[in-house]
This record gives sequence, C-alpha cells and structure tokens, in this order.
Amino acid sequence: MIEVAGLKKKFKLTKDHKKNKIDDIDPREDKDYFHSVRDVSFSCAKGEVLGLLGPNGAGKTTTLRMISTALKPDEGSITIAGNDIVKKPLLGRKSIGFLSGSTGLYGRLTVKENIEYFAKLHGMSKNDIASRCDELFTLLDMHKFIDKRAENLSTGMKQKANIARAVVHRPAVVVLDEPTTGLDIMTTQTVIQFIKGLKAQGTPVIFSTHHLDEVALLCDRVAVINEGVSCFDGTVEEFKQAGNSEELNQAFMNILTEKHDV
Amino acid sequence: MFEVFKKELRELLRDKKTLLFVVALPVAIFPLLFAVMAFISSQAAMDAEQKVNTYAIINGEYAQEFTDKVFYHKSFELYKGAKTFNNIEELKAGVIAGDIDMGIYLPSHAEQTLDSGEQSQWQVVFNDSKSINFLFERVKELAKEYSDVLQTQKLISFGIEESVQKSILNPIEVIKVDTADKRENLGEKIGGFLPYLLIPLVLMGATYPAIDLGAGEKERGTLETLLLTPITRTELVLGKFITLLTTSIASTTITVLSMGCWIALALAFADLDFIKAAFSTLAVTDLLMIFVLLLPVAAIFSALALAISIYARTFKEAQNYMAPLSMGVFFPIIISIMPNMELTAKTAFIPVTNVALAIKEIVKGTVDYTFVGLIFLATAIIAAGLLAFCVKWFNREDVLFR
Repeated sequence: MIEVAGLKKKFKLTKDHKKNKIDDIDPREDKDYFHSVRDVSFSCAKGEVLGLLGPNGAGKTTTLRMISTALKPDEGSITIAGNDIVKKPLLGRKSIGFLSGSTGLYGRLTVKENIEYFAKLHGMSKNDIASRCDELFTLLDMHKFIDKRAENLSTGMKQKANIARAVVHRPAVVVLDEPTTGLDIMTTQTVIQFIKGLKAQGTPVIFSTHHLDEVALLCDRVAVINEGVSCFDGTVEEFKQAGNSEELNQAFMNILTEKHDV
Repeated sequence: MFEVFKKELRELLRDKKTLLFVVALPVAIFPLLFAVMAFISSQAAMDAEQKVNTYAIINGEYAQEFTDKVFYHKSFELYKGAKTFNNIEELKAGVIAGDIDMGIYLPSHAEQTLDSGEQSQWQVVFNDSKSINFLFERVKELAKEYSDVLQTQKLISFGIEESVQKSILNPIEVIKVDTADKRENLGEKIGGFLPYLLIPLVLMGATYPAIDLGAGEKERGTLETLLLTPITRTELVLGKFITLLTTSIASTTITVLSMGCWIALALAFADLDFIKAAFSTLAVTDLLMIFVLLLPVAAIFSALALAISIYARTFKEAQNYMAPLSMGVFFPIIISIMPNMELTAKTAFIPVTNVALAIKEIVKGTVDYTFVGLIFLATAIIAAGLLAFCVKWFNREDVLFR
C-alpha cells in the first residue's frame, strides 16, 4: 500500500524565466517560485493499478519524481507499508521500481550487464541476481539479446530491458511515468502485459498516461491532477460518475472543466 | 561505490572516443605530432641555412674589402638582372618586388666619414617577417669582420700597437664561474617545460571522461535511474570521482611512458647528447615524487570536471563549460615560469603553480622536501574541499534536474 498525502513542491524561477514571464498567465507562479505541485493526495492498495491523469504541465512528473525519491517534497508525506519515504529516502528507493518513457540504458554495456549493475546497486547477492535475472529474461522473452550491447537494441528490446531493470530488485511499488509514450503497438503491448503481470502478483502500480484506453484496460483507480492540485481520486466507476460520462475521455474533460470553472 | 567505479571504468574502456583521448592520443599522436613539428622546423632551418640569397649593393666600391667578402660568401649571389638600384627606395622596391632578397646601402662618403673619425651607418634592406632568417646576421658578421680590421688599422695609425689594443678596447673581461652543476642547468631548462606537458595532460585525462560521466548520464536518461538506487550521493560521487582520477593518472602515465619509449628510440638512432644528459640526471625517486605531486592535482581537476559536467544539461553544454577550464590551467603554470618565481612558503600554497614550481625544483635537484610535503598537503586539502563541494552539488535538485 502506498499513500500520498498533501504533497507540495515549488521550484525557484530562473532569471531568464522571470525576465520572460507573462503576468498572471499561470496561477502557480509567484514572484520567485513556480509551485509545480500544490496539494496532491491519493493512495494505491496492494494489487491495484492507479492511473495518474492530468493535462501537460499539471504536475504528474514532479509528483512521480517525489514518489520515486528523486525530488524531495516541500511538504506532505509518502508512505509505503507505513514507512515515510520522505524521511527515509534510501528505504523508499529499495521499495520502488521506476520506469519512464525516456529512461535510458548504458549503451556500451550489454543488457545483462545493465540489469546486473542495478541489481548490485540494490545490494542483491550474486546468486539472487543470477536467479532473478534468469526469471526476468524468461518472463520478458529476452534471452536472445541479453548479451547484446544496449546501444544496438531496437526500441522494443530496450523497453523490455528497462522493465527488467526497473523490477530486478522486486520492488514493493512500481511507478511508471508515461511508459508507452513514443512506443509502437508491439512494445506498448509488452508494457501493458508487464503491468497486468504486476497486478496479478499483487504489486501496487502507479502510472501516468495520456491514453485513456490504457486506463480502461488496466486501472482500478484514477487520480487526476490539474495545475498541481488533486481534483479527483477514486475508482474508475466513480471517475465516470464524477465526469457524468461513460466515455473516459469525456469524463476526464468534464472533471477538468468543472474543477477549472469552480 | 566500488560497483559504480567498476561499471564506469568498464563503460569508458569500451568507448572509442575515450580510448582515443586517453590512450591513442598520448601513445601515438602526441609523440608523432612533436616529431612532425621537430622535422618541419629543422627542415625549415636547414632550407634557410642552405638558401642562396640574391643581393644588390650600392656604393660598394667605398668598402671594397667588405664588398668582396659579401661577393665570395656562399650564401649570397650578386643580382645580375636588368634593373638598376641607385638609392635606398629602389632597394626597398626591389625586395618587395622579389627581384632581390637583400639590398645593402653604403653611404657614398663612407671612406671620408671614417677618416674624419665619425661612425658610418650602413643599411641592410630585407624582409624580416620570416621567422627563420639568417640574412641580417650574416651581413652583420661580415660587416663586423671588416669593422674590426678598420678599427685595428685606425688604432695602429694612432700609434697603438695591435698587442695592446685589446687592453684599451676591452680593459675588463668578466668571466662567469658557474656554481650550478650540470643537472641544475639542465633542470632550469627542461624543468619549466615539464609542467607545461604534464599538468594539461592530467586535466585532459579527466575532462573528456567527466563529460560522459555527468552530462552524458543526463543526456542518455540514465542519471535518474541511478539516483533512484539505494546508494548515497556521496558513494555515487566517490565512484565517479575515483574513475576520473584513474583515467587522469592513467592518461598521464601512459603519455610519459610513451614519450620515454620514443625518446629512447630516438637516442638509439641519433646522437642526442643534450637529451641523454637531461634524462640521465633524473632518478626514479624524482619521477615518483613528481607522480605523487600530480595525484592531488588530478584530484582537483577530477572534482572540478565532475562538478561542471553534472551541472551541464547536455554533452555539448559540458564541452563548452570545460573550454575555459582547459585554458585557465595554463595561467598558474605561466606564473611558475615568471622571473624570480621560486618555491617559497608562500608560493607553496598557490594551487597548480606550487606543483609546477616543485617539478622544476625536483628536476634541478634542488627541491626542499619540506615544501614537497607542504604542497602535497595544501593541494590535497583543496582537492578534498572540491570533492566535498561535488557531493553537495550532487545533492542539489536544481543542478541535477535543470
């Protein structure tokens, strides 16, 4: 179970940004700061998949970066199985597997070396690394290319390697930031199957996306962020009700418009 | 930390560009470059030495002995073309047009001037823009020979015998009694040159891999995944820092060894006494001492390069930031060769300059070991400070996620 409560994060505006600032265009900007995330809360229980939705610039990536401990929240808490990972980031990093559409691999290392490297950094033993790698290579059908350098892989192969890298340490929670952006249909299917597999294992998954068909296919819950503030958190059915539409796209638009009008 | 170091080193060793900068360039390209430069400059000097220059002389009959000396000199040939030269302006025009290489203008009253006890001024017209030019020196030498003869004759005409002329013209001769031994003299010459070679090499060995380890990670999208592993930022920085320290020292060592091999090879085929003498004075302990002093310098450069690289968003941006650092490293070295710049308790605290001065003193064999210890300590403290800054830098979100 992961619980996110009252997250806030602001970034100092650069001189260039201040210089080119157009007054009152974004309510999140004040004199010196851009308040990227102003108040975000949601939760995701064991075996649930939560879709994090929001327009571009809503604060989704900043939120996911805070959950993955890359960024430290200014306020709020993130707890995994009762442990506050804001206070104990190293514990958080052990518990979380993170993957985004732009995540890279070390091109001059082979796929196997890449995954083993991250497993070692997670403190796994030699035997454990060998058995876990073999398990993942079979699960993701990677045996054919594990000795190839990452720089020579196709996009699909790279994403499979990235998935293996993200979960090699058996994380308690998996966080995915637009994991299918820019991928072809085949590779997208690999990611979708991977998420389904995690769900079947009981691992909570939080993923941000702009594709609502993926939400319909995978998600148990939906959280919507707009202008850095949570404007919905509930089940998919509740999402449809709140948005007054059976169509997820329409429901999403309605929720955003309603919140904006308020 | 050790896992980060191992992985970084493995990746760097598989990078062709890094291998080019850290291994191929020092092993082959630098010595080759120096050899080509030496060949071209010696060829240019030889060409200038052997070249026969065309000249024209005005009023040569007033100093016939000198005119004959120029005429019979193997490097000069009298102009036999159709043009005539009657004044200094025509000589200048002739040189500019390329009809002659040199024009000599003697005043028409040269003889009378000398007889009346006045100094006669002769003008040599030539293009002095060429870096290797023996023309003027040769004419000056011939004129001096002629001038000496005239001087002797004049003094004899005044009743001063040739045997006593020396004591009148040059009553005191100062003779240099040098207490500096051979090593000190050679050390002064090559000791200043060594830091010019070694210190930039130490920097180069760190900068290129640093770009890959910092900005390269950002550009490839691997930095974020690395930051999400349960290792502390200190371990991460140390892993990367030790990698850079290794490449920096390795690059310098490879270069020095490669140059040593090339010099040994050159000595086997040519009789280069100066080089042989210069290197025979250096003991293994001297080389070790230089190596030890370069270690904290490498640490300073590694920490600086890593901090710069991690700040940059892209490979290209990092390259732009590294350029001033590469140029800036020469300033403290230049300070070390400034006149009267010596290794003292004060200069021992100027970063990089102190090491450059110490290398010079080590090569000369006059180094004070207390200063070596002081320099090592001072440089190591600066390096540790920069490393601490690097760790702090790696903890800043506005640096990592610019």
